[in-house]
Amino acid sequence: MNIVIILLTLAMGVYFIAIVEGWAVHGRISLSRPALSALALFGRESLLVRTPDRLFFEAGPILLLVVGLLAMAVIPLAPGLIITDLATGALFLNAALAYVLVALIMAGWGPNGGYAMIGGWRFLGQFIAYAMLIVMPITAVAMRAESLSTTVIVTSQAQLWNVFYQPIGFVLFVLAAMALAWLPPLDLPNAPGDLAGGFEAEYTGVRLAVLRLARMVIILAMAGAIVTFYLGGWLGPWLPGWLWSIIKMLIVTTAMLTTGRLVPRVREANLLAAGWKLGIPLALANIFLVGVIALVVDI
Amino acid sequence: MTGSVAELFFLAFFGLAAIWFGIVVFRTHSMVRSALALLFSQTAIGAMFLVMQAEFLGVLQIMMMATEMSVMALFMVMFMMDPGGMGAMDMSHQKRLSLRAGGVGLLAALAVSWLPDWGPAAINIPSAARQTELLGIELLGRSMFIFESAGLTILTSMIAATMVAIAPRKSGVTHDC
Repeated sequence: MNIVIILLTLAMGVYFIAIVEGWAVHGRISLSRPALSALALFGRESLLVRTPDRLFFEAGPILLLVVGLLAMAVIPLAPGLIITDLATGALFLNAALAYVLVALIMAGWGPNGGYAMIGGWRFLGQFIAYAMLIVMPITAVAMRAESLSTTVIVTSQAQLWNVFYQPIGFVLFVLAAMALAWLPPLDLPNAPGDLAGGFEAEYTGVRLAVLRLARMVIILAMAGAIVTFYLGGWLGPWLPGWLWSIIKMLIVTTAMLTTGRLVPRVREANLLAAGWKLGIPLALANIFLVGVIALVVDI
Repeated sequence: MTGSVAELFFLAFFGLAAIWFGIVVFRTHSMVRSALALLFSQTAIGAMFLVMQAEFLGVLQIMMMATEMSVMALFMVMFMMDPGGMGAMDMSHQKRLSLRAGGVGLLAALAVSWLPDWGPAAINIPSAARQTELLGIELLGRSMFIFESAGLTILTSMIAATMVAIAPRKSGVTHDC
């Protein structure tokens, strides 16, 4: 039953993301546009490029979708409302997200096209710049909770949410989540301006629909991770826990989808420099600070 | 009993998958396919850990291999003369030596698995959280020196490799190409 409820929530969340993204891009809110766009994609021919690596071309979008669903499996919406409450939930989320990289490499390499290949390799090139900023803040979160279980991480924030306890980790994690979900201004793997769609460039029809659906699931999973790790998950007054989780996830998703479009796209070299030279030292400092606070203050 | 049969089935399944992907590494001509086949071989080993209820080790193996093998794919594409495999490049070299080395490796692996006294199998497997805790105590206890020295060696190698890869700059010459 939990699985059905979470999958329904996921489906509604994905539709919501499509509406908000449409609003951010076109400036108008349309409730029907995502459905019509999906129908249009299903109606179009799904072209196969010349001499592709067929296995990677077909498997890339599907792997991306599977990875998003696996990441969602350890996000708790309420006590007991989680697909699988693993003792290593936070690490599992990391493991699932690592395969976003693999899926994008496959999707980039598969079509045998210049823009697609650069998009996939670019995502790999910037990997350390954002992956460390996901792993290290999660380490600090797990240190406070003294557990890798996502439900224990939520309950550890009963007195004070992690966004206030470890704000540096929060900022780093949100930026890294946006890079991982290739959201503007960090949408380098598919940058419409200079890569003409990047790894998405050669996908059409149903394959493109799967790719876009997978990306929305990834965005929702990242929003779920931010809410779980930093915004107290289901914790909140008056309303039921699951509603708090959904409200928080929708607010985070909207913020991630809209605010990034207000600034110009970051150049790859600048993203790498910021990630390596500023982000990683800050993430290490965050771990140190959280360790000291956890030893000194009992909250 | 049913549980152990299912466990054995999945253990064999993922074990065979790991071996099959290992074979694919050498059968394909494409560098990227080869690297990702190795990745999925290692992922299958991670799944074997999960089947054996070593949750932390399994998840860690699955996570680490994704990144490591992807980076390896990048290097393979950069340094090999035919990364796409369109020129039907042969992935196997020094076949006679490789076969002998493989045979010796196989014998060594069989000896390690058969000869030592492994003791009785654990009846009560610790919970996943307890396993993680025990592993942490092990890493920060008697194995700390080994892991720290290994970590330092890898870090030194990475810095050295980066230094070697950077072209030396001559004064007055720019490298903006």
